[in-house]
Amino acid sequence: MTVADMKAMEERMISDLPWLAPIGALTLGAILAVVLALVLPRGRQGLAGAWVAAAHLAAAGVAVWVWLDRGFKVVMEGSVVVDGLALTLTATLGVAGALTVALARPVIAGTDREGEFYAVLTATTLAAVVLGHAGDIALIAIALGLLSLGSFIMTGYLRASTRSNEASLKYYIYGTVTAAAMVYGLTWWFGLAGSTNLAAIGKKLPDAPTAAVVASTALVIVGLGYKAALVPFHFWTPDVYDGAPVPVAAYLSVLPKLAGLVALARVLPAALPDDTAGWSTAVAVIAAATMTVGNIAALPQRNVVRLLAYSSIAQSGYLLMGVAALNGSREGLPALVYYAIAYAATNLAAFAVVLAVQRERRSVDIDAFAGLGRTHPWWTAALVLSFLSLLGLPPLAGFVGKLEVFTAAIDAGQAWLAAVAVVNTVISLYYYLRVIAPTVLSPAEQHGASRGSPALGTTLAITAVATVGFGIAAEPLLRVAERATMLGG
Amino acid sequence: LIAVTSAVLSAAAVVATVARFDTSRGMQLLEEATWIPSLDVAWRLGVDGMALALGALTVVLFLAAVAYGVGPRPMTRAAAALLLLLESSTLAFFFAEDFFVFYVAFDVTLVAMYFLIALWGEENRRYAALKFFLYTLIGSLPVLLGIIALFLQADPHTFDMTKLTGDPVFAGAGTAASLVFLAFFVGFAIKTPIVPFHTWLPAAHVEAPTAGSVLLAGVLLKMGTYGLVRVNLQMLPAAFEKYALAVAVLGLVSVIYGAFVALAQTDLKRLIAYTSINHMGYVVIGVAAAAASGVSTRTRELALDGAVLQMVAHGVVTGALFFIAGFLMARTGTRDLRKLSGLMRPMPVYGTLTAIAFFASLGLPGLAQFPAELQIFLATFDVWPAVAATAAIGLILSAALFLLALQRAFLGDTGERWLRLPDIHGREVVALVPLIALTVALGVYPRLALDLIDSGAWLLGARP
Repeated sequence: MTVADMKAMEERMISDLPWLAPIGALTLGAILAVVLALVLPRGRQGLAGAWVAAAHLAAAGVAVWVWLDRGFKVVMEGSVVVDGLALTLTATLGVAGALTVALARPVIAGTDREGEFYAVLTATTLAAVVLGHAGDIALIAIALGLLSLGSFIMTGYLRASTRSNEASLKYYIYGTVTAAAMVYGLTWWFGLAGSTNLAAIGKKLPDAPTAAVVASTALVIVGLGYKAALVPFHFWTPDVYDGAPVPVAAYLSVLPKLAGLVALARVLPAALPDDTAGWSTAVAVIAAATMTVGNIAALPQRNVVRLLAYSSIAQSGYLLMGVAALNGSREGLPALVYYAIAYAATNLAAFAVVLAVQRERRSVDIDAFAGLGRTHPWWTAALVLSFLSLLGLPPLAGFVGKLEVFTAAIDAGQAWLAAVAVVNTVISLYYYLRVIAPTVLSPAEQHGASRGSPALGTTLAITAVATVGFGIAAEPLLRVAERATMLGG
Repeated sequence: LIAVTSAVLSAAAVVATVARFDTSRGMQLLEEATWIPSLDVAWRLGVDGMALALGALTVVLFLAAVAYGVGPRPMTRAAAALLLLLESSTLAFFFAEDFFVFYVAFDVTLVAMYFLIALWGEENRRYAALKFFLYTLIGSLPVLLGIIALFLQADPHTFDMTKLTGDPVFAGAGTAASLVFLAFFVGFAIKTPIVPFHTWLPAAHVEAPTAGSVLLAGVLLKMGTYGLVRVNLQMLPAAFEKYALAVAVLGLVSVIYGAFVALAQTDLKRLIAYTSINHMGYVVIGVAAAAASGVSTRTRELALDGAVLQMVAHGVVTGALFFIAGFLMARTGTRDLRKLSGLMRPMPVYGTLTAIAFFASLGLPGLAQFPAELQIFLATFDVWPAVAATAAIGLILSAALFLLALQRAFLGDTGERWLRLPDIHGREVVALVPLIALTVALGVYPRLALDLIDSGAWLLGARP
């Protein structure tokens, strides 16, 4: 490569910078949060929280701006893909991240290292967003590593709690092993294709020896599937959600998960075009297993956080239906995008209610929810709506999401998967109702005084309204989902 | 109060719709407002004879239910809200001309009914409510898959039921059409319920509050048979033709089985619940007869008119019966027929009304269900004489069981404990008497409803 070539490349990369603005906003947010955490006195650390929430929202806003003003483009010599999928993910994660900051604020206010928590959270979101943009396997490996590290630190934030520590350690060990497996698989891809670029890999893999492709692809799915809590890489989920602070569980159930799924949606069709190695069917089988295991394991749970953990595993299965349909149907991608956004709103609403109950009643056992309907009608309304949306009842967001993924599955010739999903939906009714029933039907018991929090209340209101609104007024979102196309790497 | 006003208003709206309705045309008065254009979902409503007849039934029964009230009196705001939610979603279901609206309404009724049973039902209410929710959800999800299949098959993709009816996308009776037919059929069979899918019904009826049972039996069960006609018959005619006999046989099994089991019941509510299975069986037979091959247009219309009329008549009569059981429960604290006797003496008016409702339910001429069942039988004789002949056994059995119940509870010596029971009064009169009056009116002058239903007008639209 001559000096002139390198100069031209540098100029191209500099002119590409506007497309990286959302990533830049989060980077800036994380760096400044570290500074704020250092300089602010203990009592004022909330400012750091406000700052990172603003940075998250700014990233979401800038993502919208890039979409509308700049359009989609493959930048940085093919390693970063700025397309509809990446930008909708960024916008969703930006808003969801800001909301989890609002959830976390009342929980960790006044603890030491509060500011650092916000900094780590922002860095983790950054990693998730980069993972969604990655068009290069090296970038995927780095993003995944940062994502694991941040999640692990946040999970262990309650240093005094042994359960929090155990959860954190579990997450770390499991995460490291699966990430290593993925990197190993990626090196095979590199070896087979001679490039780290996904598009280049996609040109070579179809002609590579099948056994090698299948083995390496399986390893890649392990790493990303771990983030998305797919069966059989899901074992950490209930323990980690239960051990981590509830807002962190909410965060883990939405941001890294969606990033992992989006990465799968990008990597598989790009690296393995035309269903090379039959990945569609493999993914469909994983989706079926994931929803089935998640739902069945959720049945006996009495701890609502664990219940939601298994429920979120099951939801990963429904989301994965969209990925499985990518090769066979044009409906696959919009279905995935819509379901992801609907799931983010709904799941955050559910976790927000659980957090509110935990703060007042000091327990997340099902019994703690008894009689909530009498004392807190608004919380109850949010809980009933979010759980019914997770179940997929119309006219809530979860229903339109299920309608979309079912349609995609049938259209992609995977009607059997839709049938499995239907059976699973029926199973899931049981445990969702197990929480709803005592909440609404049981008489109230005496409990500690209400400890409301404006941040929590606002988050609850926003997510619950979104849960209903995305369902009833689904049109704008469906339009976005339809246009959230992927660019070849 | 708001509940009463709204119920009256919606009744007035339906009356106005009836007035605007032109019986000689098919689907009409279409309202359309775009909702989700990218999926071609819109808020499409419209009525034809069947929808309007059932809509009228809905508002009448809801008026009665609101008048009587749910649970603790005075009715709580929550109960009133749930009743109105149920009413609006039921009406939306019957008038829906868009599958999205259709399905949304189908599931919202499910949620509203779940809470009605779970909050104000009797002692085993949670179990019954869960069972109800579970079964109906199992039913509704295949319907969803079926809807998606129709959506994908249509070109361009649409949820517009008018388009899907006018131009059936599964014209043949191949494997795909059969599977879609089966998905819809299972869903609606659970709702109706047709026999192998009926086990949720007795539990739900027995544990539901009085108004809940009335609405469940009177209105919600009709959603199953309505769907059978609207979707299976109108949109998948070829597939239905292929399976008509099988469906009829299932209906027949419901008729016989429901009657036999009802005969063995001593709990009044349970007894009525099983007779519902029996009566809905006739509707299913009627619909199947209309779908069968090689049937003259006249027979087809006769069968369908009968089926729809039977839906309306059964709604009114069974609604009245569940009110009767509820009043009895409120007075005596028991529904056990073995413990009751000679109730006619302390409560002559109540007893008389009960007798009328019982006779109507067993199909006595001059009362509501007779003309409907007669039409169904006449049509079925044309198609499958054996089915009609066997179904007649059900008639005899239900006559026997109602007479037996009447004899046990109302005639004979009055038990010591029952001598001072108050006769029917107040809001009970308001709820029950109009239903009984309607029973008589429909029996004496069935054209009241038949002119409205007039299946020939709209069914033909589906079969060009």
